[in-house]
Amino acid sequence: MLRLTVSRALNGAKSSPTCLSVASRYQSDQKKPDKIEVFIDDKPVLVEPGTTVLQAAAMVGVEIPRFCYHERLAVAGNCRMCLVEVEKSPKPVAACAMPVMKGWRVKTDSEMTRKAREGIMEFLLVNHPLDCPICDQGGECDLQDQSMAFGSDRSRFTDIDFSGKRAVEDKDIGPLVKTIMTRCIHCTRCIRFASEVAGINDLGTTGRGNDMQVGTYIEKLFMSELSGNIIDLCPVGALTSKPYSFTARPWEIRKVDSIDVLDAVGSNIIVSTRTGEVMRIVPRVNEEINEEWLADKSRFAYDGLKRQRLVTPMLRDNNGDLNPVDWEAALITVAKVVKHAGNSIGAIAGGFADAEALIALKDLLNRLGSEHLCTERTFPLDGSGTDLRSSYLLNNKIAAVEEADLVLLVGTNPRFEAPLLNARLRKAWVHNETDVALIGPQVDLTYHYEHLGDDPNVLRKINEGDHEFADKLKRAKKPLIIIGAELLERKDGGALLSTVQNLSTKLNSNEDWKVLNVLHKVASQVAALDIGYNPGIDKIKSADLKVLYLLGADGDHINKEDLPKDCFVIYQGHHGDRGAAIADAVLPGAAYTEKQATYVNTEGRAQQTLVAVSPPGRAREDWKIIRALSEIVGAKLPYDNLNQIRDRLDEIAPHLTRYGNAESANYFKQAAELSKKTESAIDCKPIDVKIKELQDYYMTDSISRASPTMAKCVQAVLKQKQSACN
Amino acid sequence: MSSTLLRLKQVSKCAVNGNWVPRALSTSAQRLAETTLKNDFALLNPEDVEHKKKLQELITVEGTTDLSPISGVPEEHIRERRVRIYEPAKNCMQSGTSNIGHWQIDFDTRERWENPLMGWCSTGDPLSNMQVEFSSKDDAIDYCEKNGWTWFIQKSSLEKNFKPKNYGVNFAWNKRTRVSTK
Repeated sequence: MLRLTVSRALNGAKSSPTCLSVASRYQSDQKKPDKIEVFIDDKPVLVEPGTTVLQAAAMVGVEIPRFCYHERLAVAGNCRMCLVEVEKSPKPVAACAMPVMKGWRVKTDSEMTRKAREGIMEFLLVNHPLDCPICDQGGECDLQDQSMAFGSDRSRFTDIDFSGKRAVEDKDIGPLVKTIMTRCIHCTRCIRFASEVAGINDLGTTGRGNDMQVGTYIEKLFMSELSGNIIDLCPVGALTSKPYSFTARPWEIRKVDSIDVLDAVGSNIIVSTRTGEVMRIVPRVNEEINEEWLADKSRFAYDGLKRQRLVTPMLRDNNGDLNPVDWEAALITVAKVVKHAGNSIGAIAGGFADAEALIALKDLLNRLGSEHLCTERTFPLDGSGTDLRSSYLLNNKIAAVEEADLVLLVGTNPRFEAPLLNARLRKAWVHNETDVALIGPQVDLTYHYEHLGDDPNVLRKINEGDHEFADKLKRAKKPLIIIGAELLERKDGGALLSTVQNLSTKLNSNEDWKVLNVLHKVASQVAALDIGYNPGIDKIKSADLKVLYLLGADGDHINKEDLPKDCFVIYQGHHGDRGAAIADAVLPGAAYTEKQATYVNTEGRAQQTLVAVSPPGRAREDWKIIRALSEIVGAKLPYDNLNQIRDRLDEIAPHLTRYGNAESANYFKQAAELSKKTESAIDCKPIDVKIKELQDYYMTDSISRASPTMAKCVQAVLKQKQSACN
Repeated sequence: MSSTLLRLKQVSKCAVNGNWVPRALSTSAQRLAETTLKNDFALLNPEDVEHKKKLQELITVEGTTDLSPISGVPEEHIRERRVRIYEPAKNCMQSGTSNIGHWQIDFDTRERWENPLMGWCSTGDPLSNMQVEFSSKDDAIDYCEKNGWTWFIQKSSLEKNFKPKNYGVNFAWNKRTRVSTK
C-alpha cells in the first residue's frame, strides 16, 4: 500500500481519495497522533506512539514473560525477564519499559531472546530456594511456570563453599500477609502497589545487589485496608496469605465465581472451596467494579463464615434459653404466632439480605395485610424519597470516577466504607490529576484532599454560591459529589440531600455525566429500596407489633425495649449475633457463599452470588424458608424454584435480574424539584462518620465480627498505633 | 446441525437415482451419482423434475434439536440443573493468559463432603467435574439448548481501556505519578 504522510497529502500531492479521507479524519481529530507500525514475530501491528514493546506484543497475542511488570502498576523494569531481541539492536531490550519505534521488528522467540530469558531465569533461581513442595504459591507461581517454560533444563549452581543459598530474615508485616523473604525475587510489585494504589509508603528496598531486601526497614505493620492484594501481586511465594497458609493447594480447590457482600461495592470474587469449606477468597477481574483488587475485609473475613453460625432452628423456652428444634416444630410454632398476629407483623431487613429473600418476605407480609417492611439503614423520605432511584444510587458508576476532575466527598470516608472506590479515587488523583475535597471529619484517605470542615452548612453555602469552593465546582468539567449514606441517616438528612440534589442539578451540564452519587454501606440496601422497603425502622418502633421478623438484621438498630412486651421476634439469618440474641425463634439461613442470590450494589448493578458450599447443618436458603413458612401460614407464595422467584423479581423491577448491568436512573431534575418542598433545615451538628480509622474498619457486620482474623487485625492495628515508630 | 443437513442431502440424492450408495462411503461414487443426476433432467417430465429438485433442497428442521431424551443423562440432571456460561477471567495470582479467552460452561454446585476413608472430597453429583470449553458464547448456548439445560450467561467486563505505559512518569517532576519509594 502506498503510504503518504499527512503533510504531503495536505500539501496537495497527488493523492487518491483514500488519502484524502485519511487526511480529513486527521483534521477532525487533531489530538490522536498517527499510529505506527511495528512487527512482532513478523506479525504487523499498528500501535499508538509510546506503546511499549510488551503492550504491542500483547495486542497480537504474543505474551512476553515478566515478573516485575504489572499492567496496573507503574513500570519498574528491574526483573529483566521480558528481554526481547529487536532487529538491528546489538543488545536485547526490556520489553516492559521500551517504547516501540516505527518499523521495529521484535523477535520474541529468537535465539537471543531465549538465551536472555534463560540467563535471567538462572540468576533468579540461584537466589531462590527450592522449596516449592512446601510453598503456598506452588501450583500458581509465576516463577515455577516460567522456569518450566523458559528456564534451562540443568543447573550450573554448585555451592562450592557449602555456604548455602542466599537467605533473608522474614518480616512481620501483620496478621494477614505472611512473608518468606528468602523467596523474594525483588520485583518490587508490592512496593509499587503500596505506594501507588494503597497509598502507604511503608514498603521499600534496603541494601544493594545481593544484599537487597524488600521490607519496611523497621518492623512495622502494613497498615492498609488493601494489604491482601500484595499476596496476589507477588509472582513468587514471598508474600502469601497467613490465614490460608498450608491449608490447601491450588489444584485441589474448586473455584466458584461470586460477589462480595461485605460492603456495597459488590466486588467480584472467586470463592475457593474444598470439601464443603471455604478455603480462601480472591478477587476476580471486573473492570467496572473492582479491577483486580479486593479489600481486606472481603478477602479475609471468610473464617467468620465458619464460626458463630446458626446451624439449626431454635425456639426460646420459658427460662429464656434458645433450644434447638427441628424445622417442622420451628415452622409450625412460628406460623402459629404469625397467623395469630394478623396484620400486626413487621419485618426488618439487614445488610446481607438478598433480593430473593427480600421479595419473598415482602410478598408474605403483604399477603398478611402488613406494610411494615423496613430496612435497618434509614434514608430521608422528604421530597421524592426513595421513589426515584436516582436519589439513592451511585449514579455515575464506579469506573467513571477515574474521569472526574473534581470530587466532593460529603459525610463519607470512602477509604473504609468502600475501599475499592477509594482506590479508584486515588487512581484518579494520581493519574488524572483529579482534585478531591471533603466535608466531614478529617480522615486519612491516602491522598491529598482539600478539607472544607465538618460543618454541614458549608454545603448550603456552596449551594448558594457563598463559598470559595462553589466557583471551583462550577468551573469543573466533570464534577462529582459523593454523599455518604450514613450522613443521610441524620435527622436533617432530607435537607442535606435536598441541598446536594439542587447543587448537582446546577452543575449538570452533560446528560451522561451524573454529579449526584450516594455511597451506601451495606450490600442489601439498594435492592431493598428497589423492591419497596421503607428505609429506617421508625415505622416499626411506632407500630404496635405482635410479631417482628428480622431478616438478618444484626445492626444493633432495634432492641427489645423498642418493642411491645409481648412482641414475638423471629430472627432469620446465618450468624448468632445481635439479632439472634433478642429472638424468640431462630431460623437458620444461608450466608452469601451458600446461596445463589441477587445483590444490587451501590451503583444499582444487579449481580448474583453462586453456591460455593452448602449451608451448614440444617440451614437453608433464605427465600425457601420464607416460602415454606408461607405455606403453613396459609398464604402460599406462588414460586417454587429459583427461576420462578426471579420471574417475580423481574415483574417488580426488571433490572434486578439483568445481571452485570447497572441500570441508570435519570430523574435528577424531578427529584431536585420535589426536594424543594423539604421543610426541615440543616442543623449545625458537625458531620461525622462512624469508621474513621483502620481499627474500626475490620469488624462491622455479623460475618466480620465472627472472624478471628479480623479480630487479630484490630489487635495488630491498635498495637501498632501504640508503638513508638508509628 | 449443518452436518445433519448435508447428510440428508446426500441420502436424498442417492435415493433418487435408485442406486443406493451407503452414505459417505466413497467420494467417487457420489460424484458419479451427481453427474448422472444432472443428465437425467432432460428425459423427465416437468413434475418429476420439480419433485427431484425438491428432494435436493435442504430440509430445515424447525426449532432446536433436543438431545435430552436420547443423551442418557438422567432426567433429574436435565430439568434441575442450571448451567452457567461464562468467560473465565485471568487468575489474579498469575500473569499467564493462555488459559483464558474462551467461553466455558459449568453446573451449579451441589453438596460435597469429606470422605471419611481418605479425607478426600466426595460428591454425588456426576456433573460436578464437567467443564466444557467453547470458542464463542453462541456455541455454548447451542450446546446447552441441545442438551435441554437451563442456562444463564455471566456477564464479564474484562476489557481494559488501553493506555500506553510509560517508564518516564516515575521520574516526572510535576506529576503525582512520581515514585516516592524504591
